[in-house]
Amino acid sequence: MEESTFSKEQLIKVTNSLYEVPKFYRSDMRVPAHIFINDAMLDEVLHDTSLQQIVNVATLPGIVNYALAMPDIHQGYGFPIGGVAAFDIANQGIISPGGIGYDINCGVRLIGVNMFAQELKPYLEELATALYHAVPSGVGRGGKLKLSLKELDTILRKGAPHMLKMGYGTPGDIEHCEEGGSMSEADPDYVSEKAKHRGHDQLGTLGSGNHFLEVQEIVEIYDEKIAQVFGLTQGMVTVMIHCGSRGLGHQNCTDYVRAMLPKLDSWGIVLPDRELACAPFTSQEGQAYYASMCASANFAWANRHLIGHWVRECFEKIIGQTVLLRTIYDLSHNMGKKETHLVNGKHKELIVHRKGATRAFPKGRRELPSAYAQTGHPVLIPGTMGTSSYVLVGTETGLEKAFGSCCHGAGRRMSRIKAKKSVRGSTLRQELERQGIIIRCESDPGLAEEAPIAYKDVDDVVQVVEHAGLARRVARVKPIAVIKGG
Amino acid sequence: MNKEYEIVPHTADLKIYAYGITLTEVFRNALRGMFASIKPQSTHIRYEHDELKVSTYTSERKVVVHSPDRETLLVDFLSEALYLSDIHNEAFLDARFSDFSDTELEAVLFGVAITGFEVVEIKAVTYHDLTFEHLDGIWRATIVFDI
Repeated sequence: MEESTFSKEQLIKVTNSLYEVPKFYRSDMRVPAHIFINDAMLDEVLHDTSLQQIVNVATLPGIVNYALAMPDIHQGYGFPIGGVAAFDIANQGIISPGGIGYDINCGVRLIGVNMFAQELKPYLEELATALYHAVPSGVGRGGKLKLSLKELDTILRKGAPHMLKMGYGTPGDIEHCEEGGSMSEADPDYVSEKAKHRGHDQLGTLGSGNHFLEVQEIVEIYDEKIAQVFGLTQGMVTVMIHCGSRGLGHQNCTDYVRAMLPKLDSWGIVLPDRELACAPFTSQEGQAYYASMCASANFAWANRHLIGHWVRECFEKIIGQTVLLRTIYDLSHNMGKKETHLVNGKHKELIVHRKGATRAFPKGRRELPSAYAQTGHPVLIPGTMGTSSYVLVGTETGLEKAFGSCCHGAGRRMSRIKAKKSVRGSTLRQELERQGIIIRCESDPGLAEEAPIAYKDVDDVVQVVEHAGLARRVARVKPIAVIKGG
Repeated sequence: MNKEYEIVPHTADLKIYAYGITLTEVFRNALRGMFASIKPQSTHIRYEHDELKVSTYTSERKVVVHSPDRETLLVDFLSEALYLSDIHNEAFLDARFSDFSDTELEAVLFGVAITGFEVVEIKAVTYHDLTFEHLDGIWRATIVFDI
């Protein structure tokens, strides 16, 4: 593991859940960095290069207020995972493909089921098997749906609403999705043929790594009023889908990092890490990437929408037509969004990068779907396959301190190699099954790499989020079946 | 020294060192390391004590890459192999170079048909921490992949 050159003494402790790297730490920083974290978690973060990475982000042109890191921060490439940064569009603010990530609009969809976990129990084994077969990983073999390039272009332009037109899903799936499942500025003409070739048979596939499908039970409600608006009742079943834009998004990011690198000199941009390759948002290259990123995001929403449809089909086939599955929310993890925020008392249009971080908008924001206009949208924080996941809601404080952003999960603390050395996949499988969690995953090593021990404690992460005022807890869910692509 | 590549611990992603006496060897071993690290599953591949053995290659794919410098050339070369892997469902574990400089290469990739990867799929080749070092007559490239 690369060692951090940071020591705790170089950081300013602002509160018990916030540390600052001052602007004078390095001469090329344009703003300070704010890290939402507690003492114990900071000790772990100091072991790798996460903090150098967030300092690198603080050097990018047009950045406003702070380079921000959420409590699930860990070492990535370019930006750290859990990194948030906003750039002033009117002041040479940049857009960075690597700062958004290769898996554009990787995200989480939470679906509510009108059944109690106890009622589902007799069907759970059969359901888990059906889900495993219905939702492929797609890795090395593609998916079930093969699109023509013309159909793919329409999906890239329109996103999830086009899937509804094709007969998949329900209007509620669209209404309860960030951006209604469609970025209007998407333009498939800016997505390469290579990216399209990779994507045309990958719709409706999970991918690998930390991507999953989970059947869960709501085990705790913290805010009854908001839980009611979100449709969350203790003891009831939810389904969580975590995946992104597959090879199409990966290729799109690869293409634009490559296209921007040779242009940096002409824009006068000097970078501490080439992976931060970026373009002024208003430049031709910046606009081209944004249009292609929006198209890739639409593909990711169409992907989760289709998987949601197949999940619904599996429930109906096994439980019967009385079962109802309602999308609670679909939230993006890796995105650059045009948003207006208050900066030094003035409203500014910013391009907000969230890499391994989510939006957490409180009530009052115009971007909210009407169902959540009075509460703020559900903020979905997946844990690991053996621990809790959380549903939170954004706050005004979060809007002021972090452009309305939150962590995207527990955050890794251990490399995959170390995880595999620390735990055997077969033992973990038995352990999880002893806890009553059904596992459908072909690969024992794949399971070991995603072992709960490889992640930070999600309860601690959420506690920091709440202490820092970024979001409040609404409900906690626990997995009862984990499916990792067949 | 026979080591072709080595997996280096990284919190979230995949980091490898690729070795070689010549740069073409480094590029070939980077390709091999990239795919072997994620354990392609194929009837043409067997694992002996974690060491990957190919019985027969089932495909040959030609790649031509032009890049402004050596680092970018490596990223472009490996990215092209990932693209070909994704669209043909193949893993490439060897390469023969007919033309090679710091800014361009022409090669044939040798691949096998796969049904998936045991570990994870690689999303992309990154420029983060990308370096070439030449120590005691041996080249070492460091590459971080997004997984």
